[in-house]
Amino acid sequence: MTDLWPPLLLSLWVALLATALVAAVGVPLAYVMARRRFPGRSLLEALLMVPLVLPPTVVGYLIIVTLGARGWAGRWLYHFAHYSIMFRREGAVLAAAVVSLPMLYIPTRAAFAAVEKEMEDVATLMGAGRLATFWHVSLPLARRGIAAGLILAFARSIGEFGATAMVLGISSDPGRVTLPISIWVDYEQRNLAHATAAVVALTAVSLALIMAYNASSVSRQE
Amino acid sequence: MALRWLVLTVLTVLWPVAASAEAVRVAAAISLKEAMTDVAAAYKAEGKGEVEFTFGSSGQLQAQIEYGAPVDLFISAAHKQVDELVAAKVADGSTKRVVAGNRLVLIVPAGAKSAPARFADLSDPKHRRVAVGEPKSVPAGQYAAQALKSLGLLDSLKGRLVYGANVRQVLDYVERGEVDAGIVYATDAIESGDRVRVAARAEPKAHDPIEYPAVIVSNSRRRKAAGDFLDYLQSEEAREILARKGFTAPQTTPRE
Repeated sequence: MTDLWPPLLLSLWVALLATALVAAVGVPLAYVMARRRFPGRSLLEALLMVPLVLPPTVVGYLIIVTLGARGWAGRWLYHFAHYSIMFRREGAVLAAAVVSLPMLYIPTRAAFAAVEKEMEDVATLMGAGRLATFWHVSLPLARRGIAAGLILAFARSIGEFGATAMVLGISSDPGRVTLPISIWVDYEQRNLAHATAAVVALTAVSLALIMAYNASSVSRQE
Repeated sequence: MALRWLVLTVLTVLWPVAASAEAVRVAAAISLKEAMTDVAAAYKAEGKGEVEFTFGSSGQLQAQIEYGAPVDLFISAAHKQVDELVAAKVADGSTKRVVAGNRLVLIVPAGAKSAPARFADLSDPKHRRVAVGEPKSVPAGQYAAQALKSLGLLDSLKGRLVYGANVRQVLDYVERGEVDAGIVYATDAIESGDRVRVAARAEPKAHDPIEYPAVIVSNSRRRKAAGDFLDYLQSEEAREILARKGFTAPQTTPRE
């Protein structure tokens, strides 16, 4: 018996924070991967992309055995701070971020790889440091690819269900239930009207996001 | 050559379908998982037939059956789910039989310090999270909510309750130490072994009697086979297996 608004709001918030987290981690990594060669590079690249093919249950399981109250890192957090990631909104953000990282990483890395090396070399010749070159040359030139990646990551985050359901569980507080989880709960409780409303809302939001993505990638080709 | 591969592929794909054509498909409350698996193994060993299970919360199974899942027999952990299917004419009420009973217990993680020793201790807010089954779809949650209410604890627990999608998830939350306590069936605590500790047993009077009614689904295509398995569930052999797993015997007269 969940209302539509609190889960929709939570899903939007989770997706927004997860996308910000993914951008902070994924954009610099994509740049490094597009420009540098170093040992372990292919393994790192595989790790960044593997959530694309892993079932979300694996992601949820890994989060719980790592950061849960009896997880190998989480037990210390729990011991000293009585903190466990389970049942918490930040757990949903982490789950969504892991799952949507490849959605940002792949187009962003391709966009950085497509930036002509000469442009960066010219900037360096003119005296710009590495950071300034990245900030004023590479990043603006790759912006369309990054924008496409951000849209996809946001859309994937809104739709995340499996890992989120394992970490967040079913809360009695509607402000801790994401939209995909509310559909599952409503289905099991046979609240078809609620489930349908949530399905329509989620489908509409996702369609709009994919159309935005398509528009951004079409304009890139022109 | 291509044709041979096509035939092989089709056969491979259809093989499981053909193999399970005779099996009775049973949707059973997840608390029955190990016990029902043993019962089905004994049933098969006696040459009586094959049984396939799908396990979940009774509410989840009820929803699946109502939406047309090809199930022959439904074994719920409470009357509510069966009675609603009978009222909706999805299940045949004349076939309903209670096949087992259970008890409700309060469990805590093994080795937990300052764990609640009885239900009344749950009113202390230092027990920050208490797991129960989601009360609308999980019978163990229904019974837990009734017990907490009859003890006057439900209001003080508001905001501290965590819901499991089925009773085994409640058990998992306690085993992992993610909650300070949980309410499950006595049989779940037995299955968990030494990972959880039973802190208290609920008074049976504090909640509806915990009974597992079984019913044949109306549009089952294997009514005879489903009826045979339902009869077997009420046999001495099956009751012995269920008792060994900690289930209590059903009352002699089935409730209507």
